[in-house]
Amino acid sequence: MTQDFDIVVVGSGVAGAITAYRLAQAGARVVILEAGSRNPPRAQMVGAYATAAIKNPHSPYVNAEADKMAPTSDSSPDYYDQPPPPHTQYKSNYERRTGGSTWHWLGHTPRMLRSDFKMKSLYGGGRDFPADMVDWPIDYDDLEPWYCEAERELGVAGDHAQWNNLFNSPRSQPFPMSMIWPSYSDQWIAARLDGKKFEKIEYRVRSTPSARNSQLYDGRPPCAGNSICVPICPIGAKYDGSVHVGKATAAGALLWERCVVNGLTAGKDGSVHAVQFITWGGEQRTVTARLVVLAAHAIETPKLLLMSKLANKSGAVGRYLMDHLSKSTFGLAPENLYPFRGPPSTSGIESFRDGDFRRKQAGFRLSLNNDGWLRKNAPYAEIIDLVMKQKKIGAALQAGLIDRVPRQLRLSCSVEVAPDFNNRVELSTTRDALGIPHPKITFTPPDYSYRGLSRANRVMADMFQRIQATEIDLGTDDKAFDGAGHIMGTCRMGADPKQSVVDEELRCHDHKNLFIVGSSVFPTVGSPNPTLTVAALALRAAKTIAGQLGRRSARARS
Amino acid sequence: MKAIRSRSDLLKLLCEAAELEHGIACSYLYAGFSLKRDLSEGGMTWQEQQMVRRWAAQIYFIASQEMLHLALVWNLTTAIGGTPYYLRPNFPQDSKYYPLNARLALEPFGMECLRRFIVYERPSALNAEHELRMLLAVLGEDAADIEFGSIGELYALIESGFKSIPHEELFIGSPAQQMTRDLVHFPDLIAVTDRDTALRAVHTITHQGEGTSRDREDSHFGAFVSILKEFLDSKSHGANFAPARPALVNPYSGLGRGYGASANPIEQPLTQQAAGLFDSAYGLMLRMLAWSFEVENTGIEAIVSKFCRVAIDFMPRVLLPLGEGLMLMPAGERYRGRTAGPGFGLTRHVMLPAAADNARILCQERLQELSQIAVSLLKQSLPDPAKAACVHIQQLANQFRAEKMS
Repeated sequence: MTQDFDIVVVGSGVAGAITAYRLAQAGARVVILEAGSRNPPRAQMVGAYATAAIKNPHSPYVNAEADKMAPTSDSSPDYYDQPPPPHTQYKSNYERRTGGSTWHWLGHTPRMLRSDFKMKSLYGGGRDFPADMVDWPIDYDDLEPWYCEAERELGVAGDHAQWNNLFNSPRSQPFPMSMIWPSYSDQWIAARLDGKKFEKIEYRVRSTPSARNSQLYDGRPPCAGNSICVPICPIGAKYDGSVHVGKATAAGALLWERCVVNGLTAGKDGSVHAVQFITWGGEQRTVTARLVVLAAHAIETPKLLLMSKLANKSGAVGRYLMDHLSKSTFGLAPENLYPFRGPPSTSGIESFRDGDFRRKQAGFRLSLNNDGWLRKNAPYAEIIDLVMKQKKIGAALQAGLIDRVPRQLRLSCSVEVAPDFNNRVELSTTRDALGIPHPKITFTPPDYSYRGLSRANRVMADMFQRIQATEIDLGTDDKAFDGAGHIMGTCRMGADPKQSVVDEELRCHDHKNLFIVGSSVFPTVGSPNPTLTVAALALRAAKTIAGQLGRRSARARS
Repeated sequence: MKAIRSRSDLLKLLCEAAELEHGIACSYLYAGFSLKRDLSEGGMTWQEQQMVRRWAAQIYFIASQEMLHLALVWNLTTAIGGTPYYLRPNFPQDSKYYPLNARLALEPFGMECLRRFIVYERPSALNAEHELRMLLAVLGEDAADIEFGSIGELYALIESGFKSIPHEELFIGSPAQQMTRDLVHFPDLIAVTDRDTALRAVHTITHQGEGTSRDREDSHFGAFVSILKEFLDSKSHGANFAPARPALVNPYSGLGRGYGASANPIEQPLTQQAAGLFDSAYGLMLRMLAWSFEVENTGIEAIVSKFCRVAIDFMPRVLLPLGEGLMLMPAGERYRGRTAGPGFGLTRHVMLPAAADNARILCQERLQELSQIAVSLLKQSLPDPAKAACVHIQQLANQFRAEKMS
């Protein structure tokens, strides 16, 4: 049977776009199916954000038709079908559009640690260790060369000396760009914290690697400090998936937007060649290919497999949904730290990501942020307070603002969430405008992660005290958390087909020509932001897929 | 190309490189200051404003890399026994002044200045006199008079010196003079202590400037070409597009002497005072930086670091807002609606003394003098960026005086 294409890639976010680019570069006939809309010019989206009455991560991307045809929890608060509070809510969102959620990511790209790949072997066995925590079927050394390549592809700015051998995780090559220079606030905090200890663990402030240009790179400008990485970089200095969508199409891949995939069909031999999709106009169509790559992120990918009743002999599809538990805390520094300049966060503390404590509690990253109390509505909240309550106007109002706003500091944490069989994505009975089920979500962080969150709270309190901050706000609920936007798990990678969905090459155990790329394949997550690992895995998988396409296509093309 | 074989020749070339990097950085900054910020300035739509902001960011970034290049040249210079060279002739210099064969001038953003910038940064290996001529020809000008000496060629000569002069003879400077990023906030600064690090420093400069054939678009050359193309495209779509402020070409504050007849004296008294303050602040900043690169820093790291921090703080907190402010201030009646701009005038002054305490006293006194000028300017009506610069001068002066430096 003749196939329309060599490869169909479902989704044009960073994982799908990189995979499509590499395969198109290798000469494969590739089509990318994107559920979302074409992007208007960047300036137009920045304008939409600037004029939005309510500013949130989706503000630049609001489009009534797109939000109806390819909804997410970003655009539709009721998109997730989950039990109402007080049940724990899953709070992380994503974008369904060309380029995917990297449009509104912060851009941080730390690697996973060596230990993050071998949690069960290193720390398992004890009563407090989560039962569903596993080892990855690959290790840090397998992925290290791909991390280097991912850093080149995304364009990562970082400091090699600071990150080489972090927790026994060596870097074989320097970053392609020198680091984004730490903010004044970062340096001020480092001067007061570096070398001090919390429960025998030493504070060390490091510049956070970021896919944000510190120089002219890949035809994109250096960061100009516009401070709105989230929700959109106005100049394209921050990497987003549209970079590789552009490269993929330049290499010959086709991009079909507004095509919502709603089914996959397997043949008698188990191989998947037919991909059904529905256009925004309601036309049901099918495209065929020799290989299919799912890259629809960790909610839509399992949803599609469940709808298609494929790849799930293990029963693991949709299971082990994860995120990072994020929490922001606030304090007023004794001196001006001058927030609201440069990227929202330029440095962090990695010291608590690993250690023997992970037998009992989760590790975490800490971020030093440059956005003051923006998340508490600064500076508007201060203006309202000064005018309405303190009755200050004119010079007194100005003095009041100058006294407080430059001293505002936010610290935040990102806590590892352990996999749990019961945290899952299923199909809801609620359907969207195209008749496709919403995702039904069940999510409760394991106690292991709550213990990590509790410790992160105590560490942040200690940091505020050491820098002699006042008006410290740690929140009232030790278990309260925000979504980190790091949707992971749901199609876990593993060596055992009975326990996992894809093998170490990201090939479905049940369907040898069906691959899954993206954070859905993470068996465990550590505490780093996931995108660099997503990119590294996609690059690695692209090589496997190109190999699997093999000589037949080479002959066909010759 | 003749290889360089003596220390003296190499030092002379490094002085020339320092002078060029420095002058070019000023020229870029002037173009950056001239770009409009606010829609109320007119001449651009909201969409065009976003593009203009991006151009400004790129030009400022490139200028900052030119400052890094100057710092690298200073490290190269001290590594072989020289002293940092920070002087340069006042603007403008005609096209015969340097082998570069292009004018050095302060001009607001526009076709003419982009043309110069592309010529400054053109790759020495670009077989492409033809390509370049074609590109510049789109400006509708006769590009036939462009001669092709280049900064790339200058650094090729410098590289030949570092390669040909015996290593053991050449590197007589003290490693303690070398500035590192622990002391000064230049992220890519390289301490030069031997041939390898010297060549790495030279390659960093040429790579950032002209790139390689593989990543040309990410070099200064590539960025200016891309801005030029966008500018041409915008001009063709929007006849009313006017991204630059109507600033003078080659202004000077009237302080000191040493200006050619083609420089334009600022005549409006308040603007003249503000331009004078800019020149004084700029001169002090340079002297503090040059001192930091000259002294042996072992044992006085805190002082050196402090000097560098204040000098670098001067750039975004004083020179940038004051430079932009001057672009919003009238130049004088005879210029008919034109605004002024900073002249980057260098007036005669001593190098700061090697003795750190004396250097500190000289700087502190000078900072206080500048602070008093800023106070008097603040009593008059200034544009907001100039006001901010004056406030920042006071803050920096007070901070310098208050902080202990041991």
